[in-house]
Amino acid sequence: MIHVFCALPCEAEPIIQYFKLTGLKQFDLFRIYLSKDKQTSLTITGTGKLNASSAVSYHHACLNTSAGDIWLNVGIAGHASIPVGEARLINKITDNQDKSCWYPQIIFKPPCDSAPLITLDNPSTDYQNTLIDMEASGFYQMALRLGTAELIHCLKIISDNHDQPTSSVNADNVKKLIAAQIETIENILDLLKPFSTEIDSTIKEPEHYPTFIEQWHFTQSERIQLLRLLRQWSVRLPNEDVIQSVTDLNTGKSVLNKLKNKLNESEFVIYD
Amino acid sequence: MINTIYIEEEIAAHPRTQAILERFPNAVTISCGRYGEIFNRKAQNFRLQKKQPALILARKHKSLVLPTPKQYGIGAEHNYYFSHMLNCLYDCRYCFLQGMFQSAHYVLFVNYEDFIEEMQSLITKHDKETVHFFSGYDCDSLALDPVTDFTNKFLPFFEDNPQALLELRTKSTQIRTLLKREPIQNCVIAFSFTPDNIAIALEHKTPAVNKRLQAIIDLQQAGWQVGLRFDPLIYTKDYANEYTGLFNDIFSKINPEFTHSVSLGSFRLPKDYFRKLEKLYPDDKLFASPLVEKNNSIGYPTEIHDDMLEFCKDIITQHIPTEKFFPCHETI
Repeated sequence: MIHVFCALPCEAEPIIQYFKLTGLKQFDLFRIYLSKDKQTSLTITGTGKLNASSAVSYHHACLNTSAGDIWLNVGIAGHASIPVGEARLINKITDNQDKSCWYPQIIFKPPCDSAPLITLDNPSTDYQNTLIDMEASGFYQMALRLGTAELIHCLKIISDNHDQPTSSVNADNVKKLIAAQIETIENILDLLKPFSTEIDSTIKEPEHYPTFIEQWHFTQSERIQLLRLLRQWSVRLPNEDVIQSVTDLNTGKSVLNKLKNKLNESEFVIYD
Repeated sequence: MINTIYIEEEIAAHPRTQAILERFPNAVTISCGRYGEIFNRKAQNFRLQKKQPALILARKHKSLVLPTPKQYGIGAEHNYYFSHMLNCLYDCRYCFLQGMFQSAHYVLFVNYEDFIEEMQSLITKHDKETVHFFSGYDCDSLALDPVTDFTNKFLPFFEDNPQALLELRTKSTQIRTLLKREPIQNCVIAFSFTPDNIAIALEHKTPAVNKRLQAIIDLQQAGWQVGLRFDPLIYTKDYANEYTGLFNDIFSKINPEFTHSVSLGSFRLPKDYFRKLEKLYPDDKLFASPLVEKNNSIGYPTEIHDDMLEFCKDIITQHIPTEKFFPCHETI
């Protein structure tokens, strides 16, 4: 699943339109939007790192996110010299207040250049050779608690610089700037999707696990053993029906013993 | 190969840093305070990072050279290991580094001179006694040698200190630097092997077994001492045939005179590392092997462990004198 976060409604609007997201009325602390297939979501965080952090946490609680999900902060940023309208994928985030740093892990060839960014507490026109914004550090550090580092990113589109300062930035301009980079946003999401699928494949339950849990009682530690044994079964005995082999047993313990014995008795070949 | 390079501010101007940056003019460079800000962060996924590892250039501040665990050694009383690098180009499924580190990025400590200084003081401390230094616990010693220039810097030090011995542990065929210079007798290039079928299944991105063997032949012909490391031994139903084939192949081609030592040990991992690897690769056959947990470690049951070790030992000692043979008796 994809989770996009924008500070302002004008940043969010082109994305909401492009991915055909609709607002979820049941959540009112932050505005959350979701696609029909429930695979793409967006939350409007409001400005500032505290809002960004709170919105990520709220979004997680509302949509029940998982380790394989993609998290993307999209927004505008200032820079001394990068032309207005250009996009940058952020490779280092520094919180200006306490100088803490985070390093988003870009393990793919991005469709735009990458650059460092400083998150400020207040708007500024004191442009530097680093991007400046007001949300990334709050977004990133909270998302890092909930997701997988390689799937969490910030994409910033330059809205102002020395030559075109903030006085020229308005909601309409921002919509146009974001809309012009929709392809970049989609490219980044497409590049992240295979990694997301890979993580999902490592955390998914073995095929028959819910059937076992429904049919027999297992303590918490026995459930962990069961997960491990079912995974081993699928690797070592892919053509044998695991349910059939334990169908006549009455207790979870006896099921675990039967699975263990059957695995121990089977020949083990490490290569295919 | 390297698209991103993180550089600790402290060593940004170090000549070795500058030389490495020149090799990767198109890499994105990102400055950082300490390498741990990147390398030790939680929530990173080793499996995903392994697809595109970055290089982190850093300075090692302390614990540069450490004593080895007691059961490791190839004949000396004083044994130390050091890691000029963390992590490896290769992707061996059994490798404990995947369990030990949060990150798959390569860390290179550029302050070689500090490692050498610490080795010098250990050599002085042990006076005229032999001291062995092992490189390649936390990395492959040679795989990135063209980038790191590791051997060019460390071999002259050992040449000047014949009472010390350097082991370079590797699966790499990057031996050009070694072949270009005169061999020194107190350096052992120790190659790790598993049989072909097992290597194909588990040792991803490594040179093929026959390529490693050719590297050994080339090194021995040039006069270098070579070591053979059959650690970890990996269990499979037909392990006897697999290992017999491997041993026959190796011992029929190598020169015993230039074979310094042979060691072996069976697959085992600390429990925490094993559980982390199992989560990273739940569908990998290695983690569905017949394994048992004991004393906070995971390894083969005693019967398999003993059978494999005895079987391999019998064949190896037919080819190598027992004084050159160093089985690792670490059991779980």
